[in-house]
Amino acid sequence: MGIIEAYRRAVSEEPGLRPGLPRETAEEILRYGAVVGAGIEHLSKAARCMDLARERISQAEAAGRSFVSGPVIVADELTGGKGRFSRQWYAPPGGLWLVLTLVNILLPEHAALYPLAAGVACGEAIRHHGLPATLKWVNDVMLGGKKLAGILTETMIGPVSGEEYVLIGIGINVNNTSFAPELRHSAGAMAQFGGRDFDLAEVGGRLLAKLAWNIGLLHWAEAKALAGDRGLEEEMPHPMIRAWLGLSDTVGRKVRFGFNVAERPHYCAKVVAIDNLGQLVLRLADGQETRESGGEIVYL
Amino acid sequence: MHDEIDFDQILSQYRADPYEYIEVTTPHAGRLVFKTSEEKPVSGPSGEWQHLPGTLLYELERERNVKPVRSVVNGVVANLERALDGQFVEAGEKVMIIRHPLKKREIIDRILRNVLSMFLAPERAKYFFALDIQSRIDKHGQRSISIKPGDEVLTMSLMKRDTPVLYQGEPGIIHSVYFTPGATVDQDQPLIGICPEDKLPLIQKIIARVKSEWE
Repeated sequence: MGIIEAYRRAVSEEPGLRPGLPRETAEEILRYGAVVGAGIEHLSKAARCMDLARERISQAEAAGRSFVSGPVIVADELTGGKGRFSRQWYAPPGGLWLVLTLVNILLPEHAALYPLAAGVACGEAIRHHGLPATLKWVNDVMLGGKKLAGILTETMIGPVSGEEYVLIGIGINVNNTSFAPELRHSAGAMAQFGGRDFDLAEVGGRLLAKLAWNIGLLHWAEAKALAGDRGLEEEMPHPMIRAWLGLSDTVGRKVRFGFNVAERPHYCAKVVAIDNLGQLVLRLADGQETRESGGEIVYL
Repeated sequence: MHDEIDFDQILSQYRADPYEYIEVTTPHAGRLVFKTSEEKPVSGPSGEWQHLPGTLLYELERERNVKPVRSVVNGVVANLERALDGQFVEAGEKVMIIRHPLKKREIIDRILRNVLSMFLAPERAKYFFALDIQSRIDKHGQRSISIKPGDEVLTMSLMKRDTPVLYQGEPGIIHSVYFTPGATVDQDQPLIGICPEDKLPLIQKIIARVKSEWE
């Protein structure tokens, strides 16, 4: 079974995996997320899926076409993978490497939660395969103190249209169990923890279904908020924040914070909450509280 | 940008009244309780990352949620609307003024903000220079960097999502930088001040004049 068939099957199962919600609500959320996978391109090898997605946008706009929201590019192997701050990202065969491109039509306070939605989707997809992955703010997917998946979210402004595109690059170490020496202590793969290899198409299809759900949830929550739905207001925090909190072990931890924490740590503090904008609420040693809307943490 | 600047007039204005008056208004409706009083000194955020909040000015309670509102600058409380204490107020109600004493550096900054073209933060986020601009700044210094509309000058980072920020405004060199990479900048706060190259001597003249004449 290929990733497209796996995705179709996984997305049809999704409402049944949300027992706390009426089926019609679950289906409504999935309709909002149905753009995910509007075209799935599967390549055996690429330099960077992110760069390809940018090319596709530029080509469409140069040809005078609107770029459809939701296409996915998956590659079996990346030869020029990069993380944030130009950190190297190893993406050999055996892992899941993809980029999802969305046209950003969310209001800023909801669009700010895209990176959390991607993290929740990864965490849920890995948990579906029996591994108790957790999220470390913003969206590092961890298991046993090792990073299983990384997410890179970038915005591109359309060169012709000026439209804002959100590119969500996701890498999951699935069956690729051999890492560069500098990463051996910090990176892990699903196969190492599961004690077996996983079907890559099945993991990919499940991830896309979880992305459809969580991107849909952002749009659904925005629609409800705009309609002044009291029910949602009473359900604070934001449903995406609740989903994120359900997978994360960040709140309550002592952390070191920095914009680029590996190179320039700023301070140590205790995480006391995540606010409704997804910001980290930190309590410093002197009892003062501060909020961070971007950056990285290391657990102490 | 103004070519002609009446330095004597500007400096005499600042000598006569070396303060900035910051109006404090309510962010939303609620029951207000003052926590300061007329002529009390207050301080703004402090600490290495500006993480220590300023003096508590008042609390605003709405539906049992109490929001503490703190001073964003150093100064002295003036024109406190005492009659509002304990009352329900609407959003945008003026509740006091903070009289903030200006330092020499701030006076230069205020004058420059009138003559430079300001590029403002589109959202509350962390900002840093685009890689290409940063490497040119590292090599040649910021005042040798010319930018024009459409150039990708900055990257905005919000919740680990990086968004390119394209410059809109008149072409010129990056004269002043108002943000620290990795620190959060509020929406509509200035990020950089741009000066057309031919106006640079005028800017330098302003700085030299204030520095030499302001005690």
